[in-house]
Amino acid sequence: MAWQEKPLGFFTDTSICIGCKACEVACKEWNELPGNAAKFTADSFDNTGQLDAQNWRHVQFIEQVPDNTGMVVTPTPIAGGQAWLMMSDVCKHCKNASCLEVCPTNALMRTEFDTVYIQNDVCNGCRNCISACPYGVIGFNEDKGIAQKCTLCYDRLQGGLQPACAKACPTESIKFGYVEDLHAVADQRLATLKAAGYQKAQLYGRDDKVYGGLNAFFLLMDKPEVYKLPNEANATLPSRNNLPGYVGGVATAVIGLVAGLLAFRNGRMNGNGANNTTTTNTR
Amino acid sequence: MTNHWRDIKHADLILINGANPAEAHPVGFQWFVKAKLDPTKGPGSGGGAKIVHADPRYTRTSALADMYLRIRTGTDVAYFGGLINYVLQNKLYHEDYVKNYTNASFIVKQGFDFKDGLFSGYNASTRSYDTSTWTYETEGAALDGPAGSTQAPAKRDKTLQDPRTVFQLLVKHYSRYTPEMVSSITGIPVDQFMQVAKLVGEMGKPDKVMTIVYAVGLTHHTTGGQLIRSAALLQLLLGNMGRPGGGMNAERGHANIQGNTDHAISWEILPGYLRIPAPGQKNLDGYVAASAPKKSDPNSWNFFGTNYRNFMVSLLKAWYGAKATKDNEYAYDFIPKPAVNSSWMSIYDQALKGKMEGVILSGMTATSIGPDSNQVLQALTKLKWLVVFDAFPTTSSEFWRAPGMDAAKINTEVFMLPATHWIEKDGSFVNSGRWSQWKEQVLPPDGDARHDHWITADIFDRVKTLYRNQGGKFPDPIMAMTLDYKDPKKPELDEIAKEINGKDLSTGSQMTSFANLKADGTTTAGDWIYTGSYPDAGNLMKRRNGVQNIQQNDPTGMGFFPQWAWSWPLNRRVMYNRASADLDGKPWDPKRPGIQWNGTTWVGDVPDYPATMNPKDPAAWLPFIMNGEGVGRLFSNSMLDGPFPEHYEPYEAPIANPLHPQQSEDPVAFLYDQAAGRPNRFGKVDKYPYVATSYRLTEHEHYITQQVPLLVGLQPQAFVEVPQELADEKGIKNGDRVRVSSERGKLEVSALVTKRLGPVTLAGNKKVYQIGIPIHWGFIGVSAEQNPERSKYWLANALTPMVGDVGARTPEFKAFLVNIEKF
Amino acid sequence: MPPAEHFAAAPEWQWWILGYFFFGGIAGGSYALGTLLRFAGDPRDEGAARIAFIASFLALIPCPVFLTLDLGQPLRFWHMLVDTSEGGVAFKPWSPMSLGSWALLLFGLFSFVSFLAAVADVGWFRAASPIARILRGGAGLVWSAVGTVFGLFICAYTGVLLAVSNQPVWSDGGWALGGMFLASALSGSAALLLLVARSRRDVDADTANRLEAADRYFVILEALLIAIFLVTVAVAGTIGKVLGVWIVLWLVVALGLLAPFAMARWDVARRWPPVAAPLLALLGVLALRAVVIFSAQS
Ligand SMILES: Nc1nc2c(c(=O)[nH]1)N[C@H]1C(S)=C(S)[C@@H](COP(=O)(O)OP(=O)(O)OC[C@H]3O[C@@H](n4cnc5c(=O)[nH]c(N)nc54)[C@H](O)[C@@H]3O)O[C@H]1N2
Ligand SMILES: Nc1nc2c(c(=O)[nH]1)N[C@H]1C(S)=C(S)[C@@H](COP(=O)(O)OP(=O)(O)OC[C@H]3O[C@@H](n4cnc5c(=O)[nH]c(N)nc54)[C@H](O)[C@@H]3O)O[C@H]1N2
Ligand code: SF4
Ligand code: SF4
Ligand code: SF4
Ligand code: SF4
Ligand code: SF4
Ligand SMILES: [Mo]
Repeated sequence: MAWQEKPLGFFTDTSICIGCKACEVACKEWNELPGNAAKFTADSFDNTGQLDAQNWRHVQFIEQVPDNTGMVVTPTPIAGGQAWLMMSDVCKHCKNASCLEVCPTNALMRTEFDTVYIQNDVCNGCRNCISACPYGVIGFNEDKGIAQKCTLCYDRLQGGLQPACAKACPTESIKFGYVEDLHAVADQRLATLKAAGYQKAQLYGRDDKVYGGLNAFFLLMDKPEVYKLPNEANATLPSRNNLPGYVGGVATAVIGLVAGLLAFRNGRMNGNGANNTTTTNTR
Repeated sequence: MTNHWRDIKHADLILINGANPAEAHPVGFQWFVKAKLDPTKGPGSGGGAKIVHADPRYTRTSALADMYLRIRTGTDVAYFGGLINYVLQNKLYHEDYVKNYTNASFIVKQGFDFKDGLFSGYNASTRSYDTSTWTYETEGAALDGPAGSTQAPAKRDKTLQDPRTVFQLLVKHYSRYTPEMVSSITGIPVDQFMQVAKLVGEMGKPDKVMTIVYAVGLTHHTTGGQLIRSAALLQLLLGNMGRPGGGMNAERGHANIQGNTDHAISWEILPGYLRIPAPGQKNLDGYVAASAPKKSDPNSWNFFGTNYRNFMVSLLKAWYGAKATKDNEYAYDFIPKPAVNSSWMSIYDQALKGKMEGVILSGMTATSIGPDSNQVLQALTKLKWLVVFDAFPTTSSEFWRAPGMDAAKINTEVFMLPATHWIEKDGSFVNSGRWSQWKEQVLPPDGDARHDHWITADIFDRVKTLYRNQGGKFPDPIMAMTLDYKDPKKPELDEIAKEINGKDLSTGSQMTSFANLKADGTTTAGDWIYTGSYPDAGNLMKRRNGVQNIQQNDPTGMGFFPQWAWSWPLNRRVMYNRASADLDGKPWDPKRPGIQWNGTTWVGDVPDYPATMNPKDPAAWLPFIMNGEGVGRLFSNSMLDGPFPEHYEPYEAPIANPLHPQQSEDPVAFLYDQAAGRPNRFGKVDKYPYVATSYRLTEHEHYITQQVPLLVGLQPQAFVEVPQELADEKGIKNGDRVRVSSERGKLEVSALVTKRLGPVTLAGNKKVYQIGIPIHWGFIGVSAEQNPERSKYWLANALTPMVGDVGARTPEFKAFLVNIEKF
Repeated sequence: MPPAEHFAAAPEWQWWILGYFFFGGIAGGSYALGTLLRFAGDPRDEGAARIAFIASFLALIPCPVFLTLDLGQPLRFWHMLVDTSEGGVAFKPWSPMSLGSWALLLFGLFSFVSFLAAVADVGWFRAASPIARILRGGAGLVWSAVGTVFGLFICAYTGVLLAVSNQPVWSDGGWALGGMFLASALSGSAALLLLVARSRRDVDADTANRLEAADRYFVILEALLIAIFLVTVAVAGTIGKVLGVWIVLWLVVALGLLAPFAMARWDVARRWPPVAAPLLALLGVLALRAVVIFSAQS
């Protein structure tokens, strides 16, 4: 089966993520990423650390177990995935993608599936996209000399397969499909959780409030900041600074030029005209 | 599992004890998630099933549970005992079920008693029970049935009023397990326990069903067998055995450990759970009489007991072929009758004493897996030779590199035979739900690697040649062994599967059911429970008719998928499924039928019952066809440590047993040192004040994944989980290096400080901390080779005690005392 | 306003980029000063102007080298200009890096031509004399005016490049960064010219005095923009990042800012070797870029 040329993406439901990291490993296997040098971080069960050129999926572990001797019943904070948040993070394939805005080579492109893709043979490793992505998704691959991130398994999609990470996820925490279909699934899941009393549950990137909507969006069990995701107020595009940046530059340039001219002219007029040690060379 | 993975989604309530499925069975865990997510199930709409996780640690399973109970390790008998008491006291049990489908009404023999922590019949000098009082009052003559498989019928009081009924004895026994007592033993606060009790109490209603899921958090205790039995009693009282969404579900270990067990991985059984003959069982009659369950009710079919001889003779015919004749009792004498216990724990003592010449390890790491690794390492130095079949170096094949070993002084000759991994061969995996699923070879064997069965066959061939050329003591069993394969040195797994199924020697066709096996030498069965898996039509384990077409492949909609692979027995998906229907054959819960009587036949799952037996017939069999009583056993003499489960403290415990301090531990547990004539080495709470438990992490599969760089990256080195409060007391910061020591050894690892672990408050307000010890590391593997200095003391089992359950001799990996200090 | 929350990863722009920002600034700034000197209209400034154009080009030479070396795939530097994915030119005006690449190319042309003219005038490279001839008079003024636009662009866009991101500090510095880099480029270039002027007799002493005066204006402008930058960063809540250990660099920046004034005011400064103040100023220019580049990524 081939995929239609419609927006494809992920709905990652963190409320049923069991932090098994199968997604991380499946991604590495498929994309032949050896991973970074192993390092014990003592950061809960996360020894991966971040998304980067070797980690295109990264499972976050956020411990917020209250001081408590044991059980509390649903939907208090300890139950139903709220005390130990696990979230499989990935490129969001933003509708308004910061990385895509700044890439000078057009290595970063939007595919027919509305995903954001880095063309390995075009990228020259300038790393501008890294400074732009607000989610810290992209990393620099030292060996290949290029920027890399989740491709949303573009190669698999072209073959009609689903992405490796989604395929490996045992609990279907990562759901893959057409974004419009995923929206419906997500809305229903959120409604169920809300009805069950999980007031903090929320969808992130489902609507257009962050980056015009995320093709890889999430159901979170706490505020976005807790998961290191910029909230609505902070979800800003790099290009916001283009105009003010240049205006500031031009203003400074004008002031600087005027000041320079003044200095040069004033100086000459006030100085003594007789002092002439001029040039030895002729014009 | 009495049920199967997919069935978990039918439950209203899921109790998880001594298991961490999100981490140890992540793929199976999808069914727990589905049980939760399915809005059509469970209390209220949109709520779905509730999950209750009792574990010393807050794990990735707890994170998705609806309730989490911080329980002290080794105390689940008290927890289940408290639930049993609550259900009995408040009459919340499923009355029809209990009366008709359990032995509640059976009258127990005079003389049976329980006092001061001991059941009647205890012999302190042999540390064992004489179980003769743990039986029923009988009346009349022995019932009909093959020799050795019957007894006189037991007396019953269907009103359950007689104080000697199993039911009344049960009420009395568990009346001591009050919520307060449960709390003082387990550390679970009373109010939390009561919340769970209320939920569980609902599950005795016919339209409700609960499943209990467990794994080695229950088995790895000196009371392992009884821990599981206590949960099973609760399920019988609630009427949840045999029903979809119910049952007692053991999540098994390695991908094929179920298959291993079925094919007699442990020393005391033959394939299909037939017993290994014991000395004194001089002939088949004596063996069957001592081994087969005894029919004790006229309506009991006692299928296992009745067929025991058929199964055994068919096994002997499969093994010894033409050499197994009526005259030599089908070569019964060829089967060894071990005089001493040969369990894992005992054989290393033989080695330690220099009584064992050599060991062959195929697919296991002696040094890492058993308790008291240092002792096992010593034992290996006393061997003449050690053979390891493996694809990778292991802590056993390189045991002479362990810290403190002086290789120059070790004379053990080690042979490393490169073996293929499962990915390099075809064959079956049998999952926890008893589904035998055939897989194909994925990769060709690497290098010189050979399949285990080829290596074994080759060794056997050479041994046979030696016997043929040089003679020897009792060569007959060796010479008589049938190796009916195209190439006896390279048998194919398909050929072996066919042999296991067995055939009718008179017609030459494959057997289709174990019901047709005979004791006259005309049938074979390499493992009777697999008979039917490979009929003439072909290998049913290869079938793959699943979710591609749900309508067609799952006609009942209950997830049985009868054409997907094959499950024992006879492709039945839920065991004891006759108990899923009432006396008239109607499902207890029509929404979740197992099998039902449609007037002429039983429909649904493959019935655990004669397909056309009318339930209303007065002669109809009772529902539990495999045992002598025909009903579920709330009281049983098949356990060596008591007919009712009782809470005993682990051998290393922070408190004395609040129920009977003078008999704190299990009186019959196997004490390795003592049995070997050495002083026991148990730590006391003054020197080792913290309770420790050991377990797995998702990221690793025991020790083998130490060879897989991607997985090493996910959890790169050994650590212990330390409760935040304790760490604060001890000045241990997250990531610090700590030394954890027990009476037997030490670990030097990093500390992962977390609030997921914390104190429990026990009897007399004693605050006790529990420390978590993942098992996966050793001095071999990618990260160990990278950090040789750091990895010297990474063997979790350096800490664990050599003490085990009386029946299975499963070691107490899950409860022991340690100290911890920063260094 | 709640503090901005940044979760962007660091692009690991380091020494090559610092070098580029520094030399790029000097190249652009010097070119602008050369042009200004010409526009000021006094033939006695011509020596200084020529030095400015020569300095501009010499400073520009390492720029593409540094930029290219900083790429993960240096041989693909031309992908900045040619779109190998869709074909055609790679020109994305809203991407400062894309714009900057083109600007650098064009400025390179202007700078080179002006350089040729200047060296021809000095008499080093007579073959270029025809160019020098063309650039005399009005054409030259137009040429250098246009070149100045590109040159100042090079000074400023590096700041905009940083700002057009989601890095803490950089994107918070928003509109101040470009101006700040530009002002500092002008003051640095003035300092450089002074440095050269002081060591050469062919520069009019009065020109040097007036350069000093201009430098003081630039420094004031720069100081103002630094203050604005710090305030915006403080408002965004990321000021912590640029302080801390980075105080040391800020001290160098401050010294660089004070140097021209010290030169003018205090006697003690007079006892310094004449090159001390310009050198300090140049160090300050380097330090300012270093602190902005490194602190945000740390
Ligand atoms: N990722 C991974 N999966 C595996 C394996 C592996 O190595 N890695 N191994 C496989 C094998 S061989 C097996 S046997 C299974 C085992 O599967 P599990 O039994 O689920 O695994 P464990 O982690 O040993 O123990 C389960 C839990 O029991 C808890 N526990 C310990 N003592 C007690 C107790 O007294 N009461 C209660 N209620 N809980 C207790 C522990 O804290 C732990 O969380 O896993 C299999 N699956
Ligand atoms: N303290 C403590 N100790 C424990 C436990 C605990 O919970 N706590 N759990 C216990 C349990 S339940 C278990 S099951 C054991 C597990 O212990 P083991 O079974 O010893 O551990 P594994 O690493 O899974 O497997 C052993 C070896 O089998 C090899 N192997 C894999 N496939 C094949 C094959 O096809 N052929 C051959 N020849 N070799 C193969 C692997 O390379 C590996 O070296 O550990 C036990 N030990
Ligand atoms: S998440 Fe980052 S890398 Fe992915 S599309 Fe958005 S901006 Fe680009
Ligand atoms: S590193 Fe590659 S993908 Fe990223 S901006 Fe530069 S050229 Fe584009
Ligand atoms: S979609 Fe593909 S590339 Fe992206 S995280 Fe998943 S497996 Fe990796
Ligand atoms: S595979 Fe699924 S459940 Fe496992 S960590 Fe990834 S998202 Fe979570
Ligand atoms: S490792 Fe294999 S057997 Fe274990 S959970 Fe994963 S898929 Fe299942
Ligand atoms: Mo196991």
